[in-house]
Amino acid sequence: MVSELQSGRRRVGHGAGALVLVLGVAACSSPGSGSSGGSASGGGGEGGGGLPDTVKVMSVNGLTGPVSFAGTNAQKGVDLAIEQIEADGLLGDTTVEVDYRDSAASPQEAASFASQAIADPSYAAILGPSASASSTAVSPIVDQAGMPTVYVQSGSEGVVIGDYTFRLTPPAASYFDIAGDYAEEQGVTSAAVLFNSGNPTLVQLGEDVVPQLADEHGFEVVSTGGVEATQQDFTTPASQIAGADPDAAFLMVQGPQYPVAITQLRQAGYQGELIGMSAAGAGNLASAGQEAAGFVWPTNFTPDQDDEGTRAFVEAYRAKYDGETPNNYAAEAYDAMWFLARGMAEADSADRAAIQQGLAAVAEEGFDGAQGEITFEGNDARVPGVLVRWDGSAEVPVEAGS
Amino acid sequence: MAQDLLNALTLGSLYLLFALGMSLAWGTIGILNFAHGSIFVFAAFTAHLLVQEVALPMPAMLAVGAAVGAVLSLLVQVLAFEPIQRRATDHRKAEMQILVGGIGIAIIPLAVAQRLTGSVPFGYSAGTFRVSTWDLGFVRLSNVQLVTLVAALGLAAVIGWWLRAARPGLALRAIGVDAEVASMMGVDRRRLALLTMAVAGGLAGLAGVLLTYYLGSIAPETGDAFLLKAFAAIILGGVGSIAGVVIGAMVLAGIETLVLVTTSGTWAPAIAFGVIFLMLLVRPNGLLGRQEVRRT
Repeated sequence: MVSELQSGRRRVGHGAGALVLVLGVAACSSPGSGSSGGSASGGGGEGGGGLPDTVKVMSVNGLTGPVSFAGTNAQKGVDLAIEQIEADGLLGDTTVEVDYRDSAASPQEAASFASQAIADPSYAAILGPSASASSTAVSPIVDQAGMPTVYVQSGSEGVVIGDYTFRLTPPAASYFDIAGDYAEEQGVTSAAVLFNSGNPTLVQLGEDVVPQLADEHGFEVVSTGGVEATQQDFTTPASQIAGADPDAAFLMVQGPQYPVAITQLRQAGYQGELIGMSAAGAGNLASAGQEAAGFVWPTNFTPDQDDEGTRAFVEAYRAKYDGETPNNYAAEAYDAMWFLARGMAEADSADRAAIQQGLAAVAEEGFDGAQGEITFEGNDARVPGVLVRWDGSAEVPVEAGS
Repeated sequence: MAQDLLNALTLGSLYLLFALGMSLAWGTIGILNFAHGSIFVFAAFTAHLLVQEVALPMPAMLAVGAAVGAVLSLLVQVLAFEPIQRRATDHRKAEMQILVGGIGIAIIPLAVAQRLTGSVPFGYSAGTFRVSTWDLGFVRLSNVQLVTLVAALGLAAVIGWWLRAARPGLALRAIGVDAEVASMMGVDRRRLALLTMAVAGGLAGLAGVLLTYYLGSIAPETGDAFLLKAFAAIILGGVGSIAGVVIGAMVLAGIETLVLVTTSGTWAPAIAFGVIFLMLLVRPNGLLGRQEVRRT
């Protein structure tokens, strides 16, 4: 009897050990004014010394794993940008060589690659990871070492922390006011908020930004609820929102959670306005189809937005990738690569400190990119943003007043 | 209140569907298969690929999911777990190597699904099944919710009966008591292990397809999230007990729903797992673990 009980306990013990192991693996795969001490250069001399024949850049991103959708699309955007930069002659006869490293969304891997790039004087800059968890691991290292690093996505705090860290994806909060305008136009007087409590950006939107919108646009937040980071079933929160029946529901969840949350809200009988954020894009609503028709969200990029820079990018992208329509990840990375190249051109050098100065100068001026007119607050990009609607099969820009 | 109860039962059924196959293999042949989540997703994904070509009805999709799950699970058993068991010097080492092997194997089908979908959710909107919802006044119930509830509780009942009354089930329990003695009594351990893994994989595939119908869509990473919950449900209920898994899944879902309904919801996993931890302090072998250990 005793041995049998011990056997049972041992089995549970083994299971518990396995759980710890799995949690460890999951943790490794879950999401996203330094000194100018880095003296290594990409082959050039000090600022203004002229660009070498080749400038090497390391791209650290998750090309496999849970954020591979961001990494692989970003790679396409960067490739297109390089092709155009060379055709444009922005860097003269200098070619840009991008060394793609797959961090598989692991902060440890990302930090390791960044350290390798810092230690190797042939690298002039880094295109940083998309996941905040990886980027916050990389930023202190690159900023301390004086390695210019340009991020996309990575919306959390602790990413843009000094002179050497830049971010080309504007924080959702910076253009979210257009959702408030839309709510006001639709006559929304009450709203529910549902947010993913495991993501700092989504928590900020749910707990701070939407209530602030409510104050500014004359509606009341009647309920606020959180769901866990990996929530799969939204039946209970959907029933609660449907029961409260507010005029609008703000869903601040992760991309793959959108089709489930929207579908279950509609099945629960909720008929009000559904408003989300940019994570809903990039094809995440395709599986919901007509069920998600009418869902709107503010975003920094949509392929059909009315902007010359966007149109040029989309046309070039489709030409290069067999008619494929780009998503925001490709657009942001495209802008990041162009930003970096402009910084190099401004510096006229592959020296890291000079490139940082060049990037700061470009940031001060701003530029037109795939995301439209890009300006900067410090080293952090800002765009006007655009409101889009899912029409059942594709995302389309929402005309004012419609 | 009635709606919350129904929601909790449905969530518990989702956990149960996922956990049944995992519990069956762990509780009988001692294989804790961490590739279960990957099999679950890949079976659902295969059905998705098929329905893009041919608009199949739900029963056909369930059959596809179960078949793919069974084949994948058999492959895992034959190509990975059996060689590990043959080469391991003792049973405990074999268990640990199978754990690690399962985690490694899980990455392969997951990576394939991630690559092919771009980690974008997939569903069965191209199929013939359509969700319809009935408003019964005090509660709203959908046809897919009903199917999920019936499937989860029905499958648990069938497996429970099979283990208690059918000859292969009794032989499996004999292996759980003492594998060596069971072999000497004429039980073909390898054949039963293959059968168990096939049934466990089939259940994973079935669960994958049903969950995709219920949720509308799943992402390649969905299996990871369910794996943790299923693991908790099995531990809570008691390893080796089908009734324990049912109770474990329902208790876990009940606590989560209660927290979601009564608080802002952000503490749901912390409170649910905290309660499980406290329960295990009192009953280390799970809620029904004592009886099962005596039995086996």
